[in-house]
Amino acid sequence: MARMKFICDAERCIECNGCATACKQEHEVPWGVNRRRLVTVNDGLPGERSISVACMHCSDAPCMAVCPVDCFYKTDDGIVLHDKDLCIGCGYCFYACPFGAPQFPQAGAFGLRGKMDKCTYCAGGPEENHSVEEFRKYGRNRIAEGKLPACAEMCSTKALLAGDAAVITSIYKTRVTTRGKGDEIWGWAVAYGGSGKLAEQGGGKA
Amino acid sequence: MRTILVLAGLLAAACGEIPQDAPKPYAGKEDTKAYASDTFKGDKAKYEQTLAKRAEYQNEYVRTGDAKSK
Repeated sequence: MARMKFICDAERCIECNGCATACKQEHEVPWGVNRRRLVTVNDGLPGERSISVACMHCSDAPCMAVCPVDCFYKTDDGIVLHDKDLCIGCGYCFYACPFGAPQFPQAGAFGLRGKMDKCTYCAGGPEENHSVEEFRKYGRNRIAEGKLPACAEMCSTKALLAGDAAVITSIYKTRVTTRGKGDEIWGWAVAYGGSGKLAEQGGGKA
Repeated sequence: MRTILVLAGLLAAACGEIPQDAPKPYAGKEDTKAYASDTFKGDKAKYEQTLAKRAEYQNEYVRTGDAKSK
């Protein structure tokens, strides 16, 4: 069983916002909802770094744990999705998420919240694949077409990688070992499996 | 004595940690599998192979034939 994940390589990200734009365009995401966004630290200073952030499709997702109506589910590929017909827009998932992934469209006056919207890993949702309803509620289903998320495929520097954890781990490892730094990665084993030390991962030669 | 032992056992059982990551039930609609679409017609192996191959395209060390590891 695949474990679909994103990795953003901060050494490569140039803060072009291509990923966020690709996402908006692919899914016709409404104004005010940002499924993906750029976070920059030390902006304008030496050592400035940017990473592209969206739902990380956690292995042990806190949004799933706190949802009072149990509208979240995980696909066979480890993609965390939710049923918008069930969502009550309470916002618990927003408070639980460490990445700020859940988004809430403004549904009316007085700051009324709509149903939660988030990155679907371009895998649609619980509707018939490629149906009008699926696109309207969740966006395009690229995964069912054998494609990877639009944000990663659009990334010009390939800073943002998407795919099975084992494959993108191998790609990232090749890069890091070529650069000659960053062998130990905190939390790696939890998110991507295997050892916390990159040298002990399968794939690229250390 | 026996009562004390039973009580001690019950008290100790209360200290046990409830699993935090037990899978929660999903109450929504069933989703159709990604590989059930017209592209793969239910062929899961082909679907996984296609995605893995697509993910490899992100590795420019391989694309340019400049791989150190492959």
